[in-house]
Amino acid sequence: MKELIEKLSSKYELQEVVYQRDNLVFAAISKENAIEAVTYLRDYEGYTHLVMMSCVDWIEDGKYQLLYLLHNPKLKNDIGIKVYIDRENPEMVSAHHLWKSVWTYQREMHESFGIVFPGSPRLEENFVVEGWDETPFMRRDFDTHEYAEKTYFPRGNRKTNDPAEYMRKKLYPNQPVTAKQRKDDK
Amino acid sequence: MSFNLKDILTPFTAWSRVVKEPVTIKDPFTREAAPRYRGFHDNDVQLCIGCGSCEAICENQAIDLVPIEGVEGIETKSGDSGLRPSIDYGRCCWCALCVDICTTDSLRLTNAYTWVDTDPDNFIFTPGVTPKDWYEKEEGWRKPGHGYEFYSHERVHMEELHADERKDSFIEFVKGYSAEQAKKEADRCVACGICTATCPAHMGIPEYIKAVRDDDMEHGMKILYETNPLPEICGRICTHKCEDVCSVGFKNGSDPLSIRWLKRYIADQIPADVDKYKDMLGTGEIAKNDKKVAIIGSGPAGLSAAHYLALLGYNCTIFEKLPQAGGMMRYGIPSYRLPYDQIDKDVDYILSLGVDIKYNVNVGTDITLEQLSKDFDAVYAGTGLHLGRSTRIPGSEHENVYQSVDLLRNIVTGAPVPVEKKVVVIGGGNVAMDITRSMARLQMEKFGEVNVIATSLEDEEHMPADREEVVEAREEGCTIIPGYGPQEVVITDGKVTGLRVWKCLSIFDETGAFNPKFDEADERIFEGDMVIESIGQGMDLSYLSEEIKSKIEFGPRGRILVNEDWQAKGLPWLFIGGDIIEGPDVIHGIANGHRGAQSIDKFLNEGR
Repeated sequence: MKELIEKLSSKYELQEVVYQRDNLVFAAISKENAIEAVTYLRDYEGYTHLVMMSCVDWIEDGKYQLLYLLHNPKLKNDIGIKVYIDRENPEMVSAHHLWKSVWTYQREMHESFGIVFPGSPRLEENFVVEGWDETPFMRRDFDTHEYAEKTYFPRGNRKTNDPAEYMRKKLYPNQPVTAKQRKDDK
Repeated sequence: MSFNLKDILTPFTAWSRVVKEPVTIKDPFTREAAPRYRGFHDNDVQLCIGCGSCEAICENQAIDLVPIEGVEGIETKSGDSGLRPSIDYGRCCWCALCVDICTTDSLRLTNAYTWVDTDPDNFIFTPGVTPKDWYEKEEGWRKPGHGYEFYSHERVHMEELHADERKDSFIEFVKGYSAEQAKKEADRCVACGICTATCPAHMGIPEYIKAVRDDDMEHGMKILYETNPLPEICGRICTHKCEDVCSVGFKNGSDPLSIRWLKRYIADQIPADVDKYKDMLGTGEIAKNDKKVAIIGSGPAGLSAAHYLALLGYNCTIFEKLPQAGGMMRYGIPSYRLPYDQIDKDVDYILSLGVDIKYNVNVGTDITLEQLSKDFDAVYAGTGLHLGRSTRIPGSEHENVYQSVDLLRNIVTGAPVPVEKKVVVIGGGNVAMDITRSMARLQMEKFGEVNVIATSLEDEEHMPADREEVVEAREEGCTIIPGYGPQEVVITDGKVTGLRVWKCLSIFDETGAFNPKFDEADERIFEGDMVIESIGQGMDLSYLSEEIKSKIEFGPRGRILVNEDWQAKGLPWLFIGGDIIEGPDVIHGIANGHRGAQSIDKFLNEGR
């Protein structure tokens, strides 16, 4: 794996190289060079199988992180190429021409994170949800609770208790110590 | 067009699959999920303390905290709310944040993932309580650890003067947090509020810690003063029982929040200016009523009562035997732990609310309690425990055997304090550590070296003193030898030369009565030119006349019996609080004073 990373780094600027296991390594490559690097790994280094693509919302850093996880069937090891793209303008060069399965991954990421892959076939088609017009649901600023409240009706007679207030009622009733508690007790 | 035989035959090869085992699984209900699959919840409800962090972190608000009835071992008590999480699977998305934040590691997700029911309401359940067959499954998601934590398990280190820098002076050695340190420490709080019930004053701890995070000291002070008018003092010397139950410190190796130091941090940010305090706390103008309350003693209970009574408009007069206010906080606790200017800061504000204080007035001799009852509408007595108790071992009547409370008081008043080259202290509590460390400082000043031995009946693990006190005393060169019982003060040629002790095997007998057993074979003599007894304090109730004594009731160990409103049984105008009711503890005194003030208000308003 070290050799592979050395070879790769002679061609591209690598960041965050992590040797996760003996048979798994990660490296981050710029948005501009990533697809070229993935193509090189497929065509010249034997990483012919795309295990999966995924996306992580690093909302605090204003980035989405895309991952291309590739497998080399001969060497039986994997390399993950990470790409950070701007959260404000979430656009990435499409890799649909490399594997057909990329179509599906990109469609999924388009639906769930709102990432655009220009030229990717059937990108706009529904993937798992139909008629979704909210914030893409895997973005961390999507408020699942707010969505659930307005979309579904509540179930059962749910009631919760604040630990401190419950303990006051149980352990020292009739002893309000703050003005608010005195008011509440009346 | 070329002819290819393979193209023609390939469709027929599919028929060979008909007789092969299918690769798909027929029955998905018996298929095991992956070992770390995030499936249905289980909760070790005996371990869980109902802190509610799972509820707080749940993005979908799928979790409620519900009371548990009829499960043995679960009850609402100090350190346990008695509540347990109930989960609505109509809302849960199995993200496992609830597991990852869990302060006790009681909550987990099993790898069970099928549950069929016809009634949708059944999908609200209490893990660990509602019977489910997946609790036996060991596999599933648990908090991964390995540095993946939502809060730090280590408290922010408090900087202190090194032992060599502090052991020759009485200046404060705990430096206090900087803004950055305080915020970092406050960030560890999960705001569960379990601590509030354990704090005798029931302080709004999560809220003032939030004020530290928000950098809003004025709000922090308002929260502190709701329940505690001595924040500078308590921020330094409180016995911090809250920290014992802090959920963040629940697990072994995890530090509780530094609640006491955060309180000190808030109070330390406000300059000592009573006008600023009044502006901030909105106490500039208080409508006075015509009722008068006398308060005996200006310790934590008396000051606390005066503060809350003054806020309610009462005219309070404190009668203090000593020349300055503070009681044991000033005359018992050494200034390296609690500097006098910090006591003054808290006290000056309370006095500025119109509280009158008369120093050097001894109730009982200078003015009688009967007279107070005539001049005032109610009397609050928080007279504390100022009498040293003697071991009464042979030789303890010698003039070079002293009481720690007397010496500690003399250090403050400036009265002469005998300092010998070798000192032996009897006692293992906080007061014993106070006198041990004070004597060490005086020895440094006088002789340039420390030679103090403190010994206690309790062994190392059971010494009643705070652990840090023992550690710090040793750092300063004091010798602490726990687990020995004093038998005799050794007197040679009329002079104290040491203390003869036996190894203590047990302190209490089978009935729980104080009855120490010793190993006489393990005898030691601790050399010393003076011996200081510090085995507890008693109360001085000489201000109660025989007539008053005949009207009120006494309980075990001569304690005055009070009703739930802290009124002496038999004398409705006499309210009692502080150490003489609760035993020695500053925060109990403050809590007592607060409740005493509320009770006096109730008493004086009845019939109006």
